[in-house]
Order: sequence, then structure tokens, then C-alpha cells
Amino acid sequence: MALSEADLVAAGVGRDGPRRTKVIRPVAFSIRDLWAGLIGLSAYTDLLVVLSAHRLKIRYKQSMLGIAWAVIQPLALMIIYTLVFSVFTRIKTPGVPYPVFAYAALLPWTFFSTSLTNATNGLVSHAQLVTKVYFPREILPISYIVAALVDLLIASIIMSGLMVYYHVSLTMQALWLIPVTLVMAAFTTSCALIFSAMQVRVRDIGMAMPLVLQLWMFASPVVYPLRQVPERFRDYYVLNPMVGIIENFRAALLGSPFDSHSLIISTVLSAVLLPLSYLYFKRVEATVADVI
Amino acid sequence: MSSDLIFNNVSKRYIVRHEVDDDATKHPWIRKINALRKRRDEFWALRDVSFAVERGETVGIIGHNGAGKSTILKLLANITSPTTGEIVINGRLSALIEVGSGFHPELTGRENIFLNGAILGMGRREIAEKLESIAEFAGVKAFLDVPVKRFSSGMYVRLGFSIASHLDPDILLLDEVLAVGDAAFQEKCLTRIEGLRRSGTTIVFISHDLAAVERICDRVILMRRGEVAATGTPREIISLYQKQIEPSRINTMKTAMEDDRAVIESLAFLTPDGLRPTVFHTADPLVARIDYVAHHEVRDAVFEIYVRTGDARLGDLTEICQLTTETSGSPIHLPAGPGTLEFQCDELSLQPGIYHADVCVKERVASEAINWQYHAAMLRVDPGRITCGQFYQSNRWKLLRRTHAATSTQNGAGESERPSGARRQSLTPTT
Repeated sequence: MALSEADLVAAGVGRDGPRRTKVIRPVAFSIRDLWAGLIGLSAYTDLLVVLSAHRLKIRYKQSMLGIAWAVIQPLALMIIYTLVFSVFTRIKTPGVPYPVFAYAALLPWTFFSTSLTNATNGLVSHAQLVTKVYFPREILPISYIVAALVDLLIASIIMSGLMVYYHVSLTMQALWLIPVTLVMAAFTTSCALIFSAMQVRVRDIGMAMPLVLQLWMFASPVVYPLRQVPERFRDYYVLNPMVGIIENFRAALLGSPFDSHSLIISTVLSAVLLPLSYLYFKRVEATVADVI
Repeated sequence: MSSDLIFNNVSKRYIVRHEVDDDATKHPWIRKINALRKRRDEFWALRDVSFAVERGETVGIIGHNGAGKSTILKLLANITSPTTGEIVINGRLSALIEVGSGFHPELTGRENIFLNGAILGMGRREIAEKLESIAEFAGVKAFLDVPVKRFSSGMYVRLGFSIASHLDPDILLLDEVLAVGDAAFQEKCLTRIEGLRRSGTTIVFISHDLAAVERICDRVILMRRGEVAATGTPREIISLYQKQIEPSRINTMKTAMEDDRAVIESLAFLTPDGLRPTVFHTADPLVARIDYVAHHEVRDAVFEIYVRTGDARLGDLTEICQLTTETSGSPIHLPAGPGTLEFQCDELSLQPGIYHADVCVKERVASEAINWQYHAAMLRVDPGRITCGQFYQSNRWKLLRRTHAATSTQNGAGESERPSGARRQSLTPTT
């Protein structure tokens, strides 16, 4: 035996300390559940860290290019879109060369789409685990988002290379990247929570995801600037939270004019959606092991 | 004394969706539409269950499959939520349910220890401190940096158990985990569990292994159809449970196909000495005795015993094995009158569990039985010679040493004169 008798006695002594009391009740849709969920989540921060690191490790084990894949995807898309939108047809970009313009938007977009693609299957692909062990299930989808955030950082290295090459310099406005990224992370998390929970019951969600993301990208100012959207549609257009996020992520990076109107809409929508999606997720979580 | 676990009027409902039966000849679209209106049935796995487990107590929960044991475990482990009622858990709880799920094959042993430990609720620092001890207990110290896909299944299971057992929980949930690994490791696990128990850990043990329940539990709860049927000392409750599954008397169900030429009166499982123990062990010798009365002469009779496992009440039985006179020995001629037939088994192949036996007598040429008794006897098997797998294969073994052909012909007592370098061990006979 690995533990001696003395160890066991010592463990017994330590056990007399204060214990956490947990009460399990049927789920309700309440603020109290929201709070209880967050408390439970905070006890598992180490799992989130380990699992996110695990995502990155697994992805690049047995692959030759390894971590370079984080860069390849946005880079390849940038090259394709540059060919299509600045060589074959011309899209007017305000002041910056098209490759920089596109890549600055593809950074946040790739983050969003990779997160959602992976997180949607987060619960279903861990069915074995979910039916055997308890841990706050939201950690599964969230770990994919954390991993995608690391990819975003790696892909940013290319961004700096592009900016040096095209003589675009970083301004103080770049500080706005922090709040914009936060809003983006919040919105991505909300979507990931909702989709991964729905995917448990209806697998169509995962099937539809590539198509949805494709449409969503063209409904966001990734390959074209926001101001090219006709004035009369713009009020509806900005209701897509990704509009404010992407437009202003790019603006912050390239020092171009900010669009605070769309950013406020994105922030408000994300702030409302996040707690609601979390409550919804927690509700599904209660019986997820029965239906998965 | 304070309670570590409290179940307060807990009920759990499952919604069972039935596929609507549909024949394949219909158009696929019509079948699709039909599939949409699946029948929804409710199934109450637990109904108004209340009990408490005191601090430091070891409580066993036994009952048929489908009596609600696993549901209790899932609720305690928070894997699923109750439909109504309330569960209070006082302290750090960890569940040892199917250890090793959650290993990732590509990751190394070390990485998996961190991942699995974190899933079970350990902090990174705590895992780092215990890493050494975990690897040692599992006996995989030399393989910590090897991907676990290269591990043997035994190593896999041992590592899983080792991680989980290093949680130092206040409350430990155990579910048939002792049925894994080899005998030596099982003993190690039991010792470990008894160590935890002595140090004051509250344990809830859910098992079919009545012997193990008797060995480690202070108190036993018997579940029946989602309700608590009885609570008491292991001895009391286990014998109550056995009485419950042992049919009070034969002829619980008569079949339409029987005729009156012969009737089986009883089936009993005995030791070779004719004793009637309550329990057998794997690899024990066993005699199955059939008492019958033939009212008319039967020319070419065949006796058969079917051993089944599962829940007799639900009719959910799987056939495990059959004893028959059909394929061996000489034909049986039954004159009118009472008689006894015995099947003798030198070594019982059944794995630990509770089995039900049907017995029948028929005529070799006829397709229908003369007399068939359902659930004529119950057979309880506890761990004896422990093996992995579906059944115990009786065997003897010997070690054969192959010496050099040239030298062994000369020397009768060649064992002591083995030339060095020619020592080889072989598992197969060399003659």
C-alpha cells in the first residue's frame, strides 16, 4: 500500500476541518441557481486550465505541422479573400492594404468559428465522461474557447508581421482590443453554451454549424468594411453582435475610426445573453446524463 | 452524530421514448414522420426514497437490477438531478464508478493523471504532491511518460483506481469497482478501502457481490422497485434478500405445453457431500439434483437445466449456460415412479452473481417439453477463484522446462545438470 497507517491517521485529522455542504435539488430557473453554478465552477478552475491545455496538446500530437495550424487557417483564408476581393473584384478598404484589412478581421472570426465548431460537440463527444463523473459541464465547451484564445494569440504573430511589412503602425487605440476581446469572449461563450446544450438533444445543430458559420461570416464585416453596408439595412445589420465585435477589433488594431454604436449594441446583447445562456445550460445539464 | 448523506423524499423519473414499430416496406418518408411521434413513457426509478448515512458509516445498497441502486449512485454523484426531493451531502464526495473513463489514449500516464485528477476534482498542486504515490500504487511508475494507449488493460484499470483512491474524500461511493483487476490487485483495493474506512471515511457501497458487502458494510439498505424495502445489519438484510429471490416453492408458473407423463418436483444445488449451502464460490464443485415423478413411462427422456442471470421479475433474463443429458451418456428410460437425477460439476465456471435456473424434462424426439419449471432454484455465486472475463475456465497448469535435446537423453535426473544458456521456459508441451 502506498499510504502508511500514519498517513491515514493524519488524513483523518485533516478531515475534521470545516466541510462544504452541498444540497442537490431539482433544477429551477433562478438567480440563486446562477450564483450556485458560479460557485461550483470556481471550485473547478484547475480542471478548466488542465483541460484547455489538454485541448492544445491533443490537437497537435501526431500532427507534423503542430502549432503552426493555428496560423495556417486564418493565413490561408486571408490569401484567398485577398485574391477574390482585391484582385478579381475590388472592395474599397479605408486606408489599409486589403491583406491587412482582411487578416485583422479573420483573427477574431477564426476564434469565433473554431470555438463554436468545437464547443458545439463539447458535451456529446464526452458522453462517456459526462455519464460517469460529475464536474461543472460548462467546462467542456469553455475549454475549447480558452484553447481558441491561445490560437488567437499565436495567429496574432502573423498580424504583427503583416503590419510591419505594410507599414501600418499600432496606435494607443490598440488598448481597445482588451474590452473588445472580452465582449467577443462573452458572446462566444453564450453561443457555445446554448449550442452545446441543444446538440445533446438535437444533433442537427452540429450538422448545421458549418453552414450557419459560413452565412454568419458573410453577415459580418469580415471581407468588407461596415460602411459598405447600405445605410437602410444598417440598423438591422448591427443587431448581429459579431458586427460590432469584428469591426471594432479591426479598428482597434489598425487605428481606423471606431464604430461605438455597434459596439454598444454588441456589449449589451452579450451582457444579457451570457447569464441567460448559462441558466439554460445549467438546466439542460441536470438531465444531460439521462439523454446523451 | 451528524449525517454525511441525507436523502429526503427523493424521486427520480425517467422519460423513456419508444420508437414506434414500423415495417420496412413503407416509404422512408412515412417512416420518418412516424418516428417523430415516439411514445413517451414515464418510468419512476426512485419513489420517495429517504435515508441517512452517518459519519464514518459504511452502508451497502443491494437489490435486483432495476431496483434503483445505480440511480441512487448517480444522484449522489450529481451526475443527474432528482425530479423531486432533496439530497444533502456533507463533505467532499468522490465516486469510484468505472474507473479509467476519461483517460485520453494519446496523452502520457503523467498527463492523464493530471487530467483525470482534475476531472475528479483535485487541484493541480494536490495532484503533483500525490503523483509519486499514485504511480506507485498502480505499479506504472516506469511508464509515466508513455502514452496510455500503450498500456495494458490491467495497467489502465489500476491507474484509474489509484487516482480515484487518492482523492482522500470524506464520502466515497463504490460501484462494483472491485470486479476489476487481478486477485492481488483486488485484495489491495479492499485493503485500501478498509484503511479509508478505519480512518473515518463514510462509504456507500453498491454491489451484487454479497460477500464483499458482508465483509465491509456496517449497515445494508435493500432496494425494491425504487423504494427502500428494508434496512438493517448485513446478515439480516442479505438473508432477507436471498429469501426474496429464492422462490418460496416450485411451480411458480405452469406452462401450457406440459403434459402429465412426468413432473419435476424440485431442483437443488448441493455440495458433493449433499449439503445445501446458501452460497457457492467460483470453481467450487457443485451437484444439481433434480427430483421428479414419472406418472407414465417415458422412453427416451432428456433433462435440462438452464442457468440465467438478470431480473426474473422483469423477465429480463440472459441465458448463461445449459446442462443437458441430451448430448452425453446413454439414453434415459424413465419407468413410472419417482426418481432423482444429478448433474455433477467438478468446478463451477460461473462468475460471482445471482443466477436463476429453469429445469425441464422432455422427450428427445419431441419439440415440446413434458414438464418445464421456471425459476426452479436460485444460485448465488461469490468470488472464489477470481478471473477476468465472462466465466471461469477450469484448468490445471504446469511449467515445462526445455533442456537441450542432446543432454537430456543422457541424464535421467537432468534437472540439475541443465547446461547454461539452454534454459528456456515454455508454456507449451515440448514432446
